[in-house]
This record gives sequence, C-alpha cells and structure tokens, in this order.
Amino acid sequence: MEENNNHSNIETETEEKLKTDLLTLNMGPQHPATHGVLRVEIKTDSEIVAEATPHLGYLHRCMEKHCENLEYRQVIPFCDRMDYLAAMNMEWGYVLAIEKMLGTEITPRAQYVRTMVAELQRIASHLMFFGTYAIDLGAFSPFLYAFQDREFILRIFEELSGVRLLYNYIWVGGVWRDINDDQLKRISTFLETLEENLKKYHSLVGENKIFIERTANVAKITPELAYEYGATGPVLRGAGVKWDLRKDRPYGIYDKFDFDVITGKGEKGTVGDCWDRYQVRILEMFESIKIIKQCLDGIEEGPVMAKVPKIIKVPEGEIFVRTECPRGELGYHLISDGGKTPYRLKVKSSCFTHTSMLGDLAPGMLIADLVATIGSIDIVLGEVDR
Amino acid sequence: MNSKSNPLSLDELSQLSQPRDTNPLTFKKWFTNIWETFRSVTTGLGITMKYVTSVKPVTIEYPEVREVLPDTSRSRLFNDVDNCISCFQCANVCPVDCIYIAAVRRDKEAPKLKTDGGNPIKLDLIQYTIDTALCCYCGLCTTVCPTGCITHTTDYEYSQYTVDQMKYDYLDEEVRAWKSRLIK
Repeated sequence: MEENNNHSNIETETEEKLKTDLLTLNMGPQHPATHGVLRVEIKTDSEIVAEATPHLGYLHRCMEKHCENLEYRQVIPFCDRMDYLAAMNMEWGYVLAIEKMLGTEITPRAQYVRTMVAELQRIASHLMFFGTYAIDLGAFSPFLYAFQDREFILRIFEELSGVRLLYNYIWVGGVWRDINDDQLKRISTFLETLEENLKKYHSLVGENKIFIERTANVAKITPELAYEYGATGPVLRGAGVKWDLRKDRPYGIYDKFDFDVITGKGEKGTVGDCWDRYQVRILEMFESIKIIKQCLDGIEEGPVMAKVPKIIKVPEGEIFVRTECPRGELGYHLISDGGKTPYRLKVKSSCFTHTSMLGDLAPGMLIADLVATIGSIDIVLGEVDR
Repeated sequence: MNSKSNPLSLDELSQLSQPRDTNPLTFKKWFTNIWETFRSVTTGLGITMKYVTSVKPVTIEYPEVREVLPDTSRSRLFNDVDNCISCFQCANVCPVDCIYIAAVRRDKEAPKLKTDGGNPIKLDLIQYTIDTALCCYCGLCTTVCPTGCITHTTDYEYSQYTVDQMKYDYLDEEVRAWKSRLIK
C-alpha cells in the first residue's frame, strides 16, 4: 500500500513527464512452481497481479491424432502418458469406454484389483500433491516424507505391471497380471502405517501457522465460478459442492463400497480457498484407504481376464465415458466406425478447465499467492496439452 | 467473472489488493498468532527430530548399492534370435514402431531348425533391430510373442553417447552374448 502512495506522489510532482505502467512478466515455461511447462503471462505492478493469462501447448504430443492410427490395445500406453502421475486412472477410463461398447463382462476379481490399484494411485497422486505443494510454499522436507510412502505404492505397481509410472496394466477385459496374497498382505500392513503417517504429515504441514497464513483465504473459488468453468474433482469439492462420480454416477464396483464425499468446510478461512482444496485431498486419502480396506476384505478368487477377441473391433457408434481421477473428472469421447482403430478419441481433461480458471482467480493477488494457487489446483501439464 | 479485456489500472489494483483478513489486529490476536506459530513450528520440529533419531535411512546410495528389481520389471528388451520364428507380431503390435525385422524364406535343402518349444523355423532372420531410444517400454511385444523369445529383462544401465548407439542389432555376436547375463 505504501508503495502505491509513493507512486501517486511522484505522479503529482512530474505529472506529464512520468507514467507508471504495468510490467509484463513471464512465469514459466521452465519454472519450478508451474509443475511442468506452463507459461503464465502476468501483468503486474511490482507484487500485485493485474492479469494472468495461462499459455498452453508446450507439452502437446498429438495424442488424439496418434490414436486414430493405432489399434485399440495400442492406445493404452498413450493414455498413460497423459497424466503420468495417475496413469492407472487414465487407463481405466479409456478401457471402460471400449468395454461398454463391446459389452464385455468383467470378472469380479479384476474389478476388485482395478478398484484397488486406482485408489492406490489416487493416494500416490495426492501424496505427490502434498509434497510439491509444500515445496511451492517453501517447505522441503514434507516432499521427502511423502515420497517415502509413495515409493511403496510404486513398488507394488512395479511388481504388478513392471514399471513405476506408465503401467499399461489395465487392459480391455481385465488386468494384465494377477495380484498375489503376499502383495495383498503387504498392502494391508502399509495402509495401517500410512494412516498414522498421514496424520503426522497433516500436523506437520496443514496445521502449521505459516502454511495456514499462506493458503487460507487465498484464491477463493465459489461454487458459481466452479460451475461456470466446469471444474470437477477436488477443486469443485473444495468449493463446498458435494459431487463425486464414484458416489453419484458409480462405475466399476464403486456402488459396493461405503465411503464419504469430502467437501471443503472453510475451517481456516473461507469455503473454497487453497487450504480447503488441500484439506479435501488429504481427507480423500483416508477415504481411499477405507475403500482399499473393503477391497481387501471382499476380494474374490478367480480369473482376472475376461474373454476378449484377439483383434478388437468396436461396433459402430459413439460413447462418452467419464471417471473420477485424482485431479478431477476425465472424459473419453470415443467414436468408432467399426474398424480396428478408433475413428476419433476426444479427451476431456479436468486439468485444462482448472488451468483456465487462473485468469479469473489471479487479479489482485500477490505473485507468491499465484504460486500457491497454481499448486492448489494441482495440474499436470501432460493432461492439459495431451 | 472478473476477467476484462484490458488489464486493471493501478488505481483499480490498489483497491483489489485488500488485506486478506478484514478483522482488525487486536492485542489478543497478535499474541495468539505468535503462540500458534510457536506451537505448530515446535510440532514440526518434533517430527523432524523423531526422524533424525529413530527412523532408519531409506535412501539407496545408487552406484554402491543397487536395488534388486522385481522379476516382472520392464527394462531392456532382449530377443533370443535362436528361438525367433520371424512372425512379425511384435513389430505389428508396437505402438511406436521401434522394431525393425527383415526375414527371407529358408532354403529347403538347408538343415531344419526348431525352436526350444518345437516350432519349426521357416524363415531366416536377416535383421532384428530394436531402437531402444524410441521404445516406450509398454511391454505389448512380449505379450504377443508366440515363442516367448522377446522378453523384458531387468537390465537398466545402458546409456550411450549418441542416439544411433541405442539401436541394437540382436543378430550381432556381441549382443547375442548378453543372453547368459540377462536371461535367468
């Protein structure tokens, strides 16, 4: 405020000679706080942002066009590469679309394994958010704590599928490899330690006064703004709207499980601020633990692959399938002309919608708060640009 | 909602940048803030101290200590050319087309060859090259192979100076010799 007064004093003295103008600043494409290659063009007056325009396209890999020349099975590795932090959920949505078109019945064991890996992936993804968000706000050690737990999940996935990030594990008709009893046992012991650890991490970061001061009352997203842009996932739930596809439009076997939909309550500030979005993600991990525990109790013996023709030919028609991914709803619009390859595969990404909200959230905010905002909407640029 | 075609002017900016907390700062609040900061920072330091004293190190110090990868791990591809029947299925299923195969019909008078599984080899491989720089390690080629000759091994240390050196010809004697090292 003081600085602004100084400005006006100078202006009155040399009224017509000097002019103050807004400074254009590029944040990114290579910036640690933009989580990838996002460029935000900021018009600023020293510290206060007047306008922020996100520029996309630095990670565009023509995924949708590529898929038109690939057989249905070959598309799955490409789906992995969209949101590389939640590849299991990306695969599941695509596979669901094809299975609905083919009318394939999935075996119960495969359903349980799918739900389990998807929820583990959600925990891994949220842990990643927790770590990087703390780094964005200047705390380094929570990142390492989060990675320690994430490491276990990646190890399980490595044993199941063979790799740590881009799995190609969920296939049309089931999953690639079966999960064994030893792995199930290890998951259940891991969940116990994870629950304790999460409480510890939350008291380390979420309850910290400095963290609260940085995030509470920053970048308030009202339900109206969220609806206007079509925000989904933790951003929408953080705004206090109770909407979760797993509960409201269940896919897979989510209707069997008992869990709550977490919404932002505005405990430390107002509803829909950065702290609420942080809290929604932390509490969602506990809900995921609940779901996995129920999976471990209910898992049935049996095959994990249903019978699928060797060369998949999806009947003519189109379908839109959406699933609840860690970062929001992911939609696949698949059009088939009856051939071996998709005629068109359009992906509706939640990160894209959330990135476009920046232009509305930023005006009037400090640059440091913009970093907190980008961190709290938790975008992965691979999914934004595809 | 706030978006305008023109950026805000300086006057508008100074109006926008309101302090976040509109309530005035009282003495009570000032002391609570200090107390809460002190309390939460000590909680954090307590957790850190716990890690200093009672938690074992988890970092694997890479060149000295090597992690044992699970058997299912998808690292360097290896094709056992003696068992390959040149069916081209791996090249067809590859989403990035990184497998180059060339084969000719085997001479009828030549001695008959069979794979370990008993399949007759009717084609002679003249080239089997994988561009590992292009490979996306999706593992689809290993799932379609009828003789199981192309496999993912757990070998992951094969950096090179140029991209060209990442192309491996599996008919090469030197590359064939990997078999004893890679296949268990």
